[in-house]
Amino acid sequence: MVNIYLSAVLPVLGAIVNLSTPGDYISFGVISISVANFVVVVVMTVIFIAAVFLPFPHRKEEGK
Amino acid sequence: MSTFANEKDREESVRGLVEDQDMWTNKVRRKFYGKLPPEKLLPDRQPAYVSSWIYVFGVLTMSALAIVIGSGLLLALEGPSWWHNSPEGLFVNSLHLWSVELFFIFMVVHLWGKFFMASWRGNRALTWVTGVIAFLGSVGTAFTGYLSQQNFDSQWISTQAKDGLNAAGVGAFFNVLDFGQMLMWHIVLLPLFVIAIVVLHIVMVRIRGVVHPFPPKNANDYPADDMGWTGRYRRYDILKEGSIAMTVVVILTLVLSVVFSSPDEKPLTLQSWAQTAPIDFVSTATAELSGTAPAARYGYPYNYVPGSGQKLGPFSLPSIFGVTIPVNPPLDFVMRPLATIANEPNLTNALTQFRSGSSTVQSKWEDNYTKALTKATVVNGNVVTSPGTYGPLPVMMNSLLKMADSGGLDASLIAGSGFYGTNYTKPLLFLADGTYMANIAQKQHLLGTQWGMMNESGNFPGQAWLWLYTFWYQIKPFSTSTNADVMVWATMIFLSGVLMAVPFIPGVRAIPEKVKLYRFVWKDYYRESESSNKGSKG
Repeated sequence: MVNIYLSAVLPVLGAIVNLSTPGDYISFGVISISVANFVVVVVMTVIFIAAVFLPFPHRKEEGK
Repeated sequence: MSTFANEKDREESVRGLVEDQDMWTNKVRRKFYGKLPPEKLLPDRQPAYVSSWIYVFGVLTMSALAIVIGSGLLLALEGPSWWHNSPEGLFVNSLHLWSVELFFIFMVVHLWGKFFMASWRGNRALTWVTGVIAFLGSVGTAFTGYLSQQNFDSQWISTQAKDGLNAAGVGAFFNVLDFGQMLMWHIVLLPLFVIAIVVLHIVMVRIRGVVHPFPPKNANDYPADDMGWTGRYRRYDILKEGSIAMTVVVILTLVLSVVFSSPDEKPLTLQSWAQTAPIDFVSTATAELSGTAPAARYGYPYNYVPGSGQKLGPFSLPSIFGVTIPVNPPLDFVMRPLATIANEPNLTNALTQFRSGSSTVQSKWEDNYTKALTKATVVNGNVVTSPGTYGPLPVMMNSLLKMADSGGLDASLIAGSGFYGTNYTKPLLFLADGTYMANIAQKQHLLGTQWGMMNESGNFPGQAWLWLYTFWYQIKPFSTSTNADVMVWATMIFLSGVLMAVPFIPGVRAIPEKVKLYRFVWKDYYRESESSNKGSKG
C-alpha cells in the first residue's frame, strides 16, 4: 500500500523544480563553474558567516 | 539512580582487585576510564564560552553522515536497477545525493570554524589531523560513489579519472572502470575507514574538550591551552542537540530531494554507439585493430608500450606495478569478438584472409580504409565506402557493427572480466577512444577543460569539493605538460599534507590569531570577561 502511494506521489514531487535541463555555467578567465556549484559555495559561505556573526541564544550559566 | 553509592565506589570498581591489575582487560578498562570517564563521553556541562552557532556544525555533519549511511544502505541492498528504474529508488538516490551535499557543506563550515578558532591548541593537534583525514577520506568515498552510479556521468568521470590514478600508479589496483570494484570501495572499505576516523576524531574531542578562547584583553590567571577550564560552565545537553540537529538535517534532505530529485542520464553502451553513430564506431574499431587508437598506445596498467607513462622527475610510478589489467585492443575489441560469430561464411573467410596477410599488407588495408571512412555513408545498417583496396576490412567491420548493434559486443567485452560482473574496463576504453562519448560529454560540460570533474549533468550540483584538483589542470605548467596528471596528484598530496600539518607550520598556524575572526565566535565571552576586567581595574 505504501509502495503504491509512493509510486504515485514521488514522480510528481520530484518534478517540482526540474534541474535535468542543459546546465548553466559562469566563466571568468580560466575559471568555469556551474551555477549549481556556485550556489552551493555561496550558500556554504553565507552559512559560515551567519554562524560566526549571528547571536547564539543564551543559556543558563553557572559556576564550576 | 547510580549503581554506585558514591564516586569512590565507582573508581574502586573500575580499578578492580589488586591481584587483577596485571590483566590486559583490567589495564584497558583503567586506561579507558582514566582518559574518557562517562561525564566526558556524554557531558551535560560545557564551558560558558561554548556559545556560538559555529559549534553546532560538528553534530550537523554527523547527522548528515548518518543519513548518507542510511540511504546508502538502502541503495546497496536494492541495487542499480532499483535506483535507476523505480520512483522509490530514484527518491532514495535523491536522499543520498542531497545528504552528501549537506554533509560536505556542514563539514567545510565546521573545518573553517575550527581553523579560525585555532582549535589545535592545547595538545589538540591530533584532533585536527583526524578531522582533515576524515575530510579527505570523505572526498574519496564520495568520488567512488559518483563512479558507482552506473549512468553517463559515472562513465565519463571514470574515463577521465583513470588517467590521474594510472599516472600515480594507483590505477594498477584501484580500477575506476570496474564499477563493481568501485561499489565495494564505496559501500564497504572507504565508509569503514571514514567511520573509524570519525569515531577517533570524536573521542579526541571528548578527551581533550573544546579549545579555550584566546586570552581576553587584560586577562589574569588565564588557564593554559592544555589545562582544564577554570571559568564558568553552562548546561549543555549533547543528546538533545544531536536530536535537534538530526531532525533539521532530515527535513532539509527530504525537502531538497522532493523539490529537486537527482540526475540520472542513461549510460552509453557499445550498442547505443553503434546505433547512433555507426561511422564513428567503425572508424574507432579500425583504429583499435591497427593499434593506433589511444587504448592500444596507453601503456601501464593496460599494456606495455615502450616510453609511455607519465613521469614525476625521473620516476615512472606506473612502471612499478607494470601491466596489471591486460588489455589488447586489436584482439580484445575486434578479433576475439568477431571469432565468436558463428554461421557467417563471409566473415570466416574475411578473418582467414586478414590473419594470412602480412603486417605490411594489413597496415595498407587499415590505412586505406581509415581514409575512406571519412567519406563513408550508412546504407541499410552497413557502413559503405567508395571502392578501394581494403582487403577483408569492410566485411569484418560491418560484422562487428552488427554485433554491437545487437548488444552482443557489450556482453562479449564484459564476459570473463573477473569476479565483478560490472567490470566495464574494456567497453569504456573502447567507447572513450571514439568521438561519440566525448561529444556528449562536451555538451554536458564535463570535459577536463570545462572543469568537468566537479560538474554534474544538467543543473545539479556536483563535486564542488574537487575544485582545487580541477583547477590545476587549467593553468601552466600543468595544462601544457605531458606529465600533468602525476604533477597534479603530487601537488594535491603535498597540499593535503600541508592541511594536516597546519598546527605545526609556523606562520600558517598563526593566521587565526592575526585574522581575529575568533573575536566574533567568542563575542559573548569577550564582552563579558573584558567588561568585568575593566571594571575590576577601574
